[in-house]
Amino acid sequence: MASSFPFPHRTPVRSSFSVGLLILIVFAFIPAIAVVVVSFTDLKGLPGLPVHWIGWENYQDYFGKGHRADNLNAFKNTLIFAGLSTLAQIGLALLVALLLNRPLKGRDFYRSVVFMPTVLGVTVTALIWSLMFNTSGGPAHSVLALFNSDSAFFGDPKIALYLVIFVQVWMVMGVSVIIFLAGLQAIPDDLYEVANIDGASPWQRFRYITVPMLAPSITANVLLGIVTAMQSYQLTYVLTGADKKATQVLSLQVYQQSFGAKSGTTLVQSQGYAASISMVQFLLVGTITFLTLWYLRKREAKL
Amino acid sequence: MSTVTGTDRGRPGNDALAAKPDKRLHKKRPPVGAYVCIALLMLFFLFPLAYLANTALKSGTEFIQDPVGLVTHPQWGNFAEAWRLGDFGAFVANTALYTVAGASIGTFIALVMGFPVARGYIRFVKLWNALFVFVLFLPNALMTQFQLLLKLDLYDTRLGYILMVGVGVGIGPLLFTGFVKSLPRELDEAAALDGVGYWRYLFSFVFPLAKPALATIFILQAVWIWNEIILATVLFADSSKWPIAAGLNAFKGTYSTNWSLLAAATLIVAAPLMVGYVFIQKFLVNGVVGAVKG
Repeated sequence: MASSFPFPHRTPVRSSFSVGLLILIVFAFIPAIAVVVVSFTDLKGLPGLPVHWIGWENYQDYFGKGHRADNLNAFKNTLIFAGLSTLAQIGLALLVALLLNRPLKGRDFYRSVVFMPTVLGVTVTALIWSLMFNTSGGPAHSVLALFNSDSAFFGDPKIALYLVIFVQVWMVMGVSVIIFLAGLQAIPDDLYEVANIDGASPWQRFRYITVPMLAPSITANVLLGIVTAMQSYQLTYVLTGADKKATQVLSLQVYQQSFGAKSGTTLVQSQGYAASISMVQFLLVGTITFLTLWYLRKREAKL
Repeated sequence: MSTVTGTDRGRPGNDALAAKPDKRLHKKRPPVGAYVCIALLMLFFLFPLAYLANTALKSGTEFIQDPVGLVTHPQWGNFAEAWRLGDFGAFVANTALYTVAGASIGTFIALVMGFPVARGYIRFVKLWNALFVFVLFLPNALMTQFQLLLKLDLYDTRLGYILMVGVGVGIGPLLFTGFVKSLPRELDEAAALDGVGYWRYLFSFVFPLAKPALATIFILQAVWIWNEIILATVLFADSSKWPIAAGLNAFKGTYSTNWSLLAAATLIVAAPLMVGYVFIQKFLVNGVVGAVKG
């Protein structure tokens, strides 16, 4: 871009830009790139131990027989978590946004309530829902008791992951709702008026006006949802701990292999190995994001 | 206009359409179904909070005898007890420091990098834009962040943690370049013609004009920082330097069976957030919207 530069000197531009860039490089990019390097070494958590270059050994280890059950499990959990929570989040958020887009009394208040959990944060959210699902007679427990049923909730490996997904959706849904509301407000009213004149049913108006006009918001929401869900582990960490097999996801594995001193079946406590898991995750997030973006863009064009 | 006899109240953007004859589909009756859905939605979001408050006011024995019933003898002392046992005063101060300092660093980066890139005042615009996207996808680097701070002698220091959360700029720079495009370029030229230098222009002209955008960037990062617990547990050996989210999590580990105390502690952390939320809500909601459009 051959843009004209109106100011007398370029030095101040370059120097303040460089200060920002330098902080970013040192504290964000160097650690990120170092993950690639470390994944080829046997770096340990304790400082001062010698570090060796071990080539692809960590990756061979990761894909090898010894860790296969654990790694497949974490891989599967990550995909279930990201897939289900994104789908539920988008679906529910769309319904809620359609509802909150109607001219109802107190609409602004409802919107703020829906967005509130984002502000409360993971620890508060996790504690609220641990309390709701507490096994010594909490609300969820009481409801089940009405049907003569019982559950260990987060302690039950069969449903723990799905409960975490439920809490995740509760926590982050507000963001998607706000994005959808912005998209809905951008749709011109005339379109609906014309459709009314033509006698379109509510479903037809939704399918042929709302959905196509909302396509960019849907794309944004799906991408944001997938990227966040694949990288998020704070909620799982607080709700169930880092070492539960039922809710083990890739990010938690990275944490646990790097720093978790507690027993995990195949814990080797090597940061090099943890780095290789982080790389696997990075590639997975990248690939899935790319594929989703490609698919959604294609669909947007068709709608 | 007056022929429409108020049947279409509350329909936004109506004036433009009022001239059209077709109004037969505007049968106005109170949207009962919609309000029922709203009630369910509010219940879904507010009941957990109400239950939290209810539990926080119970004594330990009352909770065990009747975990779901409405509180009969409110125990306000629970809050003082939780505050004392959890040492939340120190954690609140830590969190305030980390959040303000970290989000300031991130906002500063967005300002000094985003402006020249958006204007093309710096070379390799494409590269920098790609970099702004790349920061969203950085791999999980817990172990290298830890090693870096060890090398720099910043492990277990507040400064080290602040720098680490400060560079978690997320969508900030991208958001800011989008915003700068809405500022007229003529303003730069006019200011430069009047002899205003670049830094003065950036900090005393662009900064006030960009306040809404910068506030949004600041708040989005602040939200991320006060949600951060894992990095804090990794980068601090001394738990008295933890932010409150990590402190609350540790409190949960210690008093996991004492639900009324735990609920009181949770409410102590949640209350200031909810009060603050009332004030920052406008920026937050606009910010998320802007982030998508940008």
